Amino acid sequence: MTARVDPQFITELKKYGEVTIESCFNCGNCTAICPLSTEETPFPRTNLRLVQLGLCDKLRESLDPWLCYYCGDCSATCPRQAEPGEAQMTMRRWLTGQYDWTGLARLFYTSAFWEVGSILLVGAFIVWMFFLFAGPMVTDHVALNTFAPVERIHYGDWVLAAFLSFFLLSNVVRMWWFTVAKDSKVKVPFSVYVTEAWNLIVHFVTQKQFEKCDEEQKGFWQKKRWRNHWFLVSGYVLMFVMVVGFLPWFQTDNIYPIYHPQRWLGYYATIVLLYGGFDILWSRIKKEHQSHRFSHLSDWIFPILLLLTTISGILVHTFRYLDLPLPTYYMYAAHMVVLTPMLVLEVPFGKWSHLAYRPLAMYFHAAKAKAAQLQESLTTAPAAAD
Amino acid sequence: MPTEHIKVDALVVGGGIAGMQTALDLGDQGYQVALVERQSSIGGKMIDLSKVFPTLDCCSCITTPKMSATAHHDNINLLTYSEIESINRNGNGFTVQVTKKPRYVREDDCTGCRSCELVCPLEVSEDEHEFGRTSHRIVYVPFSTAVPQKAVVDIDNCIFCGKCIQACPSDAIDFTQQPEPVEIETRSIVLATGFETTPIDAKKEYGAGKLRNVISGMMMERLLAPTGPYGRVLRPSDGKMPASIAYVQCAGSRDQTLGVTYCSRVCCMYAIKQAMLLSGALPLAEITIYYMDIRTFGKGYEQFYQNAKAMGVEFLKGKVARITEDADQNPIVRVELIDEFGKTRVTERQHDLVVLSVGLLPGGNPQAKFGVPVGEDGFIQVPDYNVFPAVTSQPGIFVTGTALGPMDIVDSIMMAGAAASATASYLESSNGSGKEAQSQPERSVEYA
Repeated sequence: MTARVDPQFITELKKYGEVTIESCFNCGNCTAICPLSTEETPFPRTNLRLVQLGLCDKLRESLDPWLCYYCGDCSATCPRQAEPGEAQMTMRRWLTGQYDWTGLARLFYTSAFWEVGSILLVGAFIVWMFFLFAGPMVTDHVALNTFAPVERIHYGDWVLAAFLSFFLLSNVVRMWWFTVAKDSKVKVPFSVYVTEAWNLIVHFVTQKQFEKCDEEQKGFWQKKRWRNHWFLVSGYVLMFVMVVGFLPWFQTDNIYPIYHPQRWLGYYATIVLLYGGFDILWSRIKKEHQSHRFSHLSDWIFPILLLLTTISGILVHTFRYLDLPLPTYYMYAAHMVVLTPMLVLEVPFGKWSHLAYRPLAMYFHAAKAKAAQLQESLTTAPAAAD
Repeated sequence: MPTEHIKVDALVVGGGIAGMQTALDLGDQGYQVALVERQSSIGGKMIDLSKVFPTLDCCSCITTPKMSATAHHDNINLLTYSEIESINRNGNGFTVQVTKKPRYVREDDCTGCRSCELVCPLEVSEDEHEFGRTSHRIVYVPFSTAVPQKAVVDIDNCIFCGKCIQACPSDAIDFTQQPEPVEIETRSIVLATGFETTPIDAKKEYGAGKLRNVISGMMMERLLAPTGPYGRVLRPSDGKMPASIAYVQCAGSRDQTLGVTYCSRVCCMYAIKQAMLLSGALPLAEITIYYMDIRTFGKGYEQFYQNAKAMGVEFLKGKVARITEDADQNPIVRVELIDEFGKTRVTERQHDLVVLSVGLLPGGNPQAKFGVPVGEDGFIQVPDYNVFPAVTSQPGIFVTGTALGPMDIVDSIMMAGAAASATASYLESSNGSGKEAQSQPERSVEYA
């Protein structure tokens, strides 16, 4: 077995974030303090070591960076201030770039010009779309579905969903290829993929790894990071499903009574997105939590786009409620201009791809562990029979 | 009160091993020396230790004769229980204001018979040397080998019952004593202000001092010393003889979260030494040393380490990240163990007693009092460490021992010789207004 050593790897990784891995003297404090690190899967020191040694292929094949939920204990107690927590965050950005075959993720993470430029470009494209396809602006009352006919927007939604699903899923396949298929130590049989699939759903729905991250607090409500993240995800997924799946039901010209699910589901999602977005932005500005002390451009873009989308959405609703036709139409267009790049760029190529990679990593990790266990029982079974 | 005046050639600040040895070396050469010590006895940290590495010689047996020699030297004027208030440069020399704190016992009259101690009805926790593991009376001789062997009254806790006054055969007790100012005129100063250890509660992850069976290396020295609080090694929470003892290395040094980036140089060796002594004191106990690197660089040190390994002391590589305890107050250490093949394993191991190999911090605040610059680590910075390690940037002020940086006893004694020698040369030079000033005018450049 040969390993490729890339002496420039650490320099390459520095393009993705604050990396001070050189300071690490491999004492193992980070691994021992980590509440998620286990006897079988010790990290983050092992990953930092891979970077020090320039073993980029090995890191690409590692799921460990995704198992970290960045409580920051490792960085807070590191005797060398090598910032293992931020190093793992940076590795996740790098891995996102590695999984993405288009190379766009790498460009967005390493170049502010490309990151901001592409957002502006997609925004401009949406403006252009409105010029081409928007309906007439009725000015005596709000007729949003005349200006932006729901079936046309819905059609656009499907294109958008197909676009991001295609790229995200193809990247997911590459992730599987690097981390599971290429692993020569363990072959995962098909049955294990089926029996372990619950991991994927459970971790996507609950994000329960966060629970272990905040050891000092007890319970869902006390564990602030887990709670806020969970509500944010619930609002985001709800809004995504309503907008992409059921837009004709969601975008209506007549205003339903308040007890109608369209109203209160929308309000719920809006409130948690607003709170979640502000919470992240505020914490990053104040550098409150250990995990928010360093902020890469992608860390800023994400809450900013989210907040702009939410606020413009609230304004669309308010203007429509106040029966102000023109502000409603312009704000609706603005809403689309922010929302589209957020979904098209951030989900498959940016920070939001972690909504797929994190639960998948838990799933793959569990599958590999199970397969390894099976292999072991097969090799030791004859001995046991004696 | 009239101020007492003392005129000397050299003032040594600090009565630890480095200060005592410097004072002795200068006194033996015929210089008049004043030695000022903050505590009621000289001996410093060394007198609290059990044995010295790597020879395992008895520490008291080395220190006590030095203490006696210092106290009885014709050329050494010993001022214990005294604080330096201010230093003023006076021509080529210095005028130093010192306050002798009241012992409430007349030093000249006290014979150290301990009659007062025997009748004193109150006891308080002994914190200065025994970390609260035992107690002392309100009027007491600091410890059995204290020099000077004179009683001192813990006035804050005294109830003035007067029993000691009645018991004292030489009428030495005097509750009316006031702080006495002393003015020392000296031609040179040697700083031997020594070190403190990292506080045991400095690290939250190590229980912040709240875990009863997690003690510091200095506490273990006391447990191992024949003069220690229990006379044997018992763990604090329940007095059990520990069957499993762990050492956590670098528990107060090489750690940027504590602001201590440097290696304390002595912890590896004192942990190994204690492990060896424990193997003798508790032959059945398992002893584990968790380390990042073992640094055994002195003469005979590596062999000492190899001997400890051969004796069965377990050395495990990995920095302990967290110490917790179970229901029986047994400490549990969590550590990533890294074996020689790079294989790694996160594990939690339970021990009966954990010793933190705490690091060395600068003692006192020499920068504020003496105007000598300190480095980033807080220890005194000298301009030319490699060539004149004892010579500070202040002409006439010298430094010795751990005031300069972490060092062991052997190095401290060597430094004391170096400081005494540098001080003597200075005293002979023109800047020191020595008698041979004319013959070596250009020497003065070195100290400018």
